[in-house]
Amino acid sequence: MKNKLIELTDVSKSFDGNMVLDEINLYIRENEFLTLLGPSGCGKTTTLRILGGFEQPDTGRVFFDGKDITSLPPNKRQLNTVFQKYALFPHMTIAENIAFGLKIRKKPQSYINDKIRYALKLVNLEGTEDRYPDVLSGGQQQRIAIARAIVNEPKVLLLDEPLGALDLKLRQSMQYELMRLKRELGITFVYVTHDQEEALTMSDTIVVMNQGYIQQIGTPESIYNEPQNAFVADFIGDSNIVDGIMVQDRLVEIFGTQFPCVDVGFGTNRPVDVVIRPEDLELTSPEKGQIRGRVRSLIFKGVHYEMEIHTNAYDWLVHSTKMAEVGSEVGLTVDPFNIQIMNKPASEDEAAPEPEE
Amino acid sequence: MSKILKRIYMALILILLYAPIVTLIVLSFNSSRSRARWGGFTLQWYHDLFQDSEIMRAFYTTLTVALLASVIATLIGTLAAIGIQHMHRKSRAFFMGVTNIPMVNSEIVMGVSLMLLFIIGRIEFGFGTILLAHITFDIPYVILSVLPKLKQTNRSTYEAALDLGAAPFFAFRKTILPDIMPGIVSGFMMAFTMSLDDFVVTYFTKGPGVDTLSTKIYAEVRKGIKPEIYALSTILFLSVLILLMLINFTPSKNSRKELIKDEKYLKKHGRKRIFTKRLILGRAIPALLIIVVSAGGIYYQAEASVSSDNELVVYNWGEYMDPGVITDFEKETGIHVIYEEFETNEIMYPKIRSGAVSYDLVCPSDYMIRKMIDNNLLQPINKDHIPNLKNIGSLYLKTAEQYDPGNQYSIPYCWGTVGILYNKKLVDEPVDSWSILWETKYKDNILMQDSVRDAFAVALKYLGYSLNSTNIRELREAEKLLQDQKPLVQAYVIDQVRDKMIGGEAALGVIYSGEAIYTVKENPDLAYAIPKEGSNVWIDGWCIPKDAKHVENAEKFLNYLCRPDVALKNFDYIGYSTPNTAARDLIEDEDLRNSEVAFPDEETLSRCETMSYLGPEAEEIYNSLWNQVKSS
Repeated sequence: MKNKLIELTDVSKSFDGNMVLDEINLYIRENEFLTLLGPSGCGKTTTLRILGGFEQPDTGRVFFDGKDITSLPPNKRQLNTVFQKYALFPHMTIAENIAFGLKIRKKPQSYINDKIRYALKLVNLEGTEDRYPDVLSGGQQQRIAIARAIVNEPKVLLLDEPLGALDLKLRQSMQYELMRLKRELGITFVYVTHDQEEALTMSDTIVVMNQGYIQQIGTPESIYNEPQNAFVADFIGDSNIVDGIMVQDRLVEIFGTQFPCVDVGFGTNRPVDVVIRPEDLELTSPEKGQIRGRVRSLIFKGVHYEMEIHTNAYDWLVHSTKMAEVGSEVGLTVDPFNIQIMNKPASEDEAAPEPEE
Repeated sequence: MSKILKRIYMALILILLYAPIVTLIVLSFNSSRSRARWGGFTLQWYHDLFQDSEIMRAFYTTLTVALLASVIATLIGTLAAIGIQHMHRKSRAFFMGVTNIPMVNSEIVMGVSLMLLFIIGRIEFGFGTILLAHITFDIPYVILSVLPKLKQTNRSTYEAALDLGAAPFFAFRKTILPDIMPGIVSGFMMAFTMSLDDFVVTYFTKGPGVDTLSTKIYAEVRKGIKPEIYALSTILFLSVLILLMLINFTPSKNSRKELIKDEKYLKKHGRKRIFTKRLILGRAIPALLIIVVSAGGIYYQAEASVSSDNELVVYNWGEYMDPGVITDFEKETGIHVIYEEFETNEIMYPKIRSGAVSYDLVCPSDYMIRKMIDNNLLQPINKDHIPNLKNIGSLYLKTAEQYDPGNQYSIPYCWGTVGILYNKKLVDEPVDSWSILWETKYKDNILMQDSVRDAFAVALKYLGYSLNSTNIRELREAEKLLQDQKPLVQAYVIDQVRDKMIGGEAALGVIYSGEAIYTVKENPDLAYAIPKEGSNVWIDGWCIPKDAKHVENAEKFLNYLCRPDVALKNFDYIGYSTPNTAARDLIEDEDLRNSEVAFPDEETLSRCETMSYLGPEAEEIYNSLWNQVKSS
């Protein structure tokens, strides 16, 4: 594994008595694409602003390369930020915008010119040097903002929902651009978004946050497949989250029916949350099904059908390449491996597990 | 049809708006001094204007004050706006309210309270106090125009600059400053215009010898408008007009259209050209303006204020001394004279009383001298130090005893009578009684003085009473008489009697003898008479206020003023009768020396009374009766 480049320890922050971050612990490895993911107000942007130096944490420390940078002002930090609303300087041309950081560092003009050309090539906007930001489109402005940040060769690039204002098509192509850039530049990206798809597509590591706590840290696969609590499961992709009782190791009871599963160590006869992804529910004949129900709705989604299967206890969401007519009776089965068991949160404090090593 | 109506309506509005200004501009090119007559085109007044160092100094004082005040206020106001912007909502609302108060507060309250503050703070009145006052009332305008711009500012550009390594101030200069620049500029312009044309606050906070254009114009207008003032006002109007047009036609750099234009310009001419263009428009022109203004300001200030302790502060009526007399005195004695003017006794009195400025010499009228003696504001004059007092005629000293028994506190300076000015072409009977002002055949041809005491003096004297009567029965009689006269009166005016009579607009007018001397000279058809029932004689005299700082210099100046040659010079300049008999003997023009208008004989004079201060109760009775006359 690569070295830890940035480390946050016990960072808390509140605004006007509102707790925004509550003892966050987090590290970021060199050359990692780390995404802070969560709904608005979860504290992800505040975390990024603390990294950038725009906010001071109330408690806790921030380390960069082993050095304490908690109270270092933004202009002294070796990282650069790409802001949500681009934040280009409207009174300067594109070239002047990009050269801004370099001029402050008193780089020679020839070096600056080379850098401008290189950066504009990197973001595919050659020839825009003498234009003004407001004349460019949103996607172009966003790329200029990235160019402006990377010419300074920061060790870390902080990106605050940079694609939030773009339309879907542009957003997708910009995702590939960002991944390409990260590959070519070989620097660390810390990315903030509320869009789970964006996070799953680009990240090496995802940090799911909610209400000032870290909910889960892991690779996109582990976050998706093994959500540690109902919040993560619900936030990442569509899920069936139901109440269950862990009868014993490897056996869970859902709405009176017992299902074999692979989880152990939850004790016996304990209430738990059970997560089953819609694509893990297999459509079968009513007799063969572990669950029996009637099709309530049917929507064609391209790669699969989306169905709601009505039972007395719960309406199951199912994604399947097979289809059944609305009103017909069907059966559902689920592979033991695809049943995800989670402890019920007793209180909010417990809902935040320690980050895993 | 409705289109025509709209046009007419529009034209009417424009005429209403601009007719006064057009009149002023036309008059500034009128070679006749009268407002009623067109005497042909001339640039004389513009020429005179620039020759008048007093006006030019006031002009430069105005520019210097306006420029300094608006620059400082812009600096303070912008910083304050940034501070307010970063406050919590509640304190922000509070501070916004506080800064808005000076704007909605009445100017006169502001002026008076600033004056009081300076008095309490023992700050000497002068250029500095004007500047401080102007900065004070300018700041809210700057805050008001910068704050909205700050609210629109995208804070993340500032953070982006920090992020890219800029130190906080550099980041501010590069991001927030250009954003709020339009607000700063318009705040500056507003502050500048506010200072430029402020009168009320300046009036209360200025010191002796310092005038801005507005106070100067006010002082001049009180004495009767000089055509130079038309020229000056025309220039002011045109410069403001040009300034406004410049502001409105200078494109803002923020619109998308402008940016695209800029890009094209950049492509065509390259970086250097655009840089030069900005340098000229943005730096060179303002810098040049500042240099011109400050150089002019320094030149005219230096000319005026060779500040030293050997000085003399004189407070006199406007146009009431030949400027040459002062410069000669300065040359002879090396004493620097700070000369300030007032327009009425009532304006002068509170200034002396407040002690805001310690004057060494002041020239009030008879009744006001009495009032000041009674209020213990004057000090006795040591006559041993003024040997030239012997030149003052005993007749006048005796008359002066009516208000200053023993001539302890004052030395008569100018005097005159009130009488009837008439046009011999329109009045062919002898004028020897006030009764002619009640003749119905002169309906709409009579001009009366628009002041309580003067108007009542005419009626009371006609009735055979004292013009200082406090007898309510007599006063009611006089009021009745004035009511009867009202339908015959063309207008109640003050200064305009002179101009209207010269222009032949009326047959009869009540006037002061000093003005009569001047009008008779201008229009030989006019003549002056003191009615046989008697009239008012007035005397203005020099006094030394109790808190004078340079008593010795004041005595020197008094002695100098009593010298026959000096008194003659002043007589020639002012035109009011001089009590200096030695000076009268030096008058070359025999007609004038023996003029009945300027120097009525002892017998006529003995029929005349000085006015005295009657006290607040009597004043109120006079005023309410006068109001009844005016409003009926």
